[in-house]
Amino acid sequence: MDLHFELPTTGDGAASVWDVAIVGGGPAGATAAMYAARADLRVIVLDKGLTASALGITSRIANYPGVPEEISGAELLRRMREQAQRFGAVFVQDKVQAVDLESDPKLLFANGGTYEARAVIIATGSMARGQRVKGEEELLGRGVSYCATCDGAFFRDQDVAVAGNTDEAVEEALFLTRFARTVHFLSPTPRIHAPEPLLHELSSQPNVRLYLGAALREVIGGDHVTGVRVALRDGGEQVLPVNGAFIYLQGGRPATDFLGGQLPLNETGCVRVDAEYRTTIPGVYAVGDVLCNHVKQAVVAAAEGAIAAMAVEKALRGRKQLAVDWSK
Amino acid sequence: MTLLNESVRREVRQALAAMTEPVRIVLFTQQEGGALECGFCRETRQLVEEVVALSDKLRLEVHDLVADQALASQMGIDKIPAIALLRDERPQPRDFGVRLFGIPSGYEFGTFIQDLVLVSQARHDLSARTLEQLAALTGPVHIQVFVTPTCPYCPRAVLLAHRLAIASERVRADMVEATEFPHLANRYSVYGVPRTVINEVIHIEGAVPEAALMDELMQVNDPAAMKRLRAEWGL
Ligand SMILES: Cc1cc2nc3c(=O)[nH]c(=O)nc-3n(C[C@H](O)[C@H](O)[C@H](O)COP(=O)(O)OP(=O)(O)OC[C@H]3O[C@@H](n4cnc5c(N)ncnc54)[C@H](O)[C@@H]3O)c2cc1C
Repeated sequence: MDLHFELPTTGDGAASVWDVAIVGGGPAGATAAMYAARADLRVIVLDKGLTASALGITSRIANYPGVPEEISGAELLRRMREQAQRFGAVFVQDKVQAVDLESDPKLLFANGGTYEARAVIIATGSMARGQRVKGEEELLGRGVSYCATCDGAFFRDQDVAVAGNTDEAVEEALFLTRFARTVHFLSPTPRIHAPEPLLHELSSQPNVRLYLGAALREVIGGDHVTGVRVALRDGGEQVLPVNGAFIYLQGGRPATDFLGGQLPLNETGCVRVDAEYRTTIPGVYAVGDVLCNHVKQAVVAAAEGAIAAMAVEKALRGRKQLAVDWSK
Repeated sequence: MTLLNESVRREVRQALAAMTEPVRIVLFTQQEGGALECGFCRETRQLVEEVVALSDKLRLEVHDLVADQALASQMGIDKIPAIALLRDERPQPRDFGVRLFGIPSGYEFGTFIQDLVLVSQARHDLSARTLEQLAALTGPVHIQVFVTPTCPYCPRAVLLAHRLAIASERVRADMVEATEFPHLANRYSVYGVPRTVINEVIHIEGAVPEAALMDELMQVNDPAAMKRLRAEWGL
């Protein structure tokens, strides 16, 4: 075990409270970041990965105004993030696991540290998984995990499975290769949505086995996990004997688990807001696909991000009205 | 080689400026080459000494687990390294039951520093509902929170348990660094953190909000529920 001693304040090195922390860097979060940064607010975007965004996995996007050429969603998103960065927004690849929205400043607990901010914009989209597989809930903390950095050390020299097809899943699997004897990587799709160098790193690890088009069906175990049942692409099924199952699968539900019940959600898990994208907690806003009754289009998500950022600026500076951002 | 670099020392000094009453850090360890297996006894002692040097409100008391067995068992210390935090009141230091087993490194270093301030201020910041529930406790409560140093939201679970200990004489709360005590992790089948274990048999996964933890915790007042849980764990 390497020993580290630091106090839990992160950001740009020094102990710092951000004006705005944005969770999720899809079109909604990236646009909010651009507007907030242009208004001279100190803004940080925490995003767990490019291909965890709905836009990031869109192979072609043809209806985003001003972008007539055929580009991939990932490329469009990269451009949005770059534009926000140009105005000073800081992007950090990190996954927010829990929050304390009532405290002052507000706290975001992520894999890489704790972030503090005066205002928070939730822009996590709706790619979270709905249904859990059989055995998953019962075996949580007994081999089922969603956090490799937290729990990897329990699986030294053991076999584990990682289920997912995003860059997040690949990075977590790479982390686990340092502890585990074998990492079985189960991608539900024939293709893993991750940048080429990352994929190459994964497939060149001697202790990784790739299964493409392999659907996790069940986590097996009594006291603790003893295996996973997987449906293979050829129609067959296989039980892999493993002690750990790290699950990063996606779905179509609003990504709100990390809120730990601090905001009222409707039964599908979406967040409700007012016309300025304010939630029920002062200083906490939500935009994009994570909202109830939201039209799932990139341009709509971006527009919402813009309005929310202006609303944050208004609140933080004590203005009566939103200030428009017109170039002179 | 110091464990804390200059900028961390500065931050810690700043954080400890919030202390009101002195705190006595009671460290249980063993001499170099002692009989017990202790991966981080030496580093824990060094860490604690470096922290004590950063505030004039901190006192350090070092004991050997084997030589001072009587005191250890009286304080509920059964493994090392162990840290107990006492508020240095007169005429007697006050022991709220705040314990840390294993080296407080990584994210838990922040917990340790926050603990010092909370114990010093005898501060718990718990809701009125929680305090009512704690007042209704009829027997002792032992909370163990299993963590790893690389778990970003574990400190929340530990601090909540420690605040409960500060608020209630019936509650003792331990941070347990799981990888240093594999026999315990095994006994409770801990493969994920944070895991909060209350009176051996109430197990809670994750850093849950205060109200949810309290609802689980209050089962200790219900003999039938506890009997059922004990049977489930084969106790
Ligand atoms: C297959 C497909 C095709 C589509 N095609 C089109 C199209 O052609 N045109 C169009 O306009 N729209 C299209 N859409 C819809 C569009 O992609 C979405 O409406 C838009 O991406 C929503 O933006 P968002 O920012 O709200 O969420 P997302 O784009 O989903 O971004 C959410 C971000 O949050 C991050 N995140 C989530 N949880 C956490 C966490 N706990 N910590 C840190 N980060 C987190 C994710 O990494 C992600 O980057 C398509 C969607 C799909 C799924």
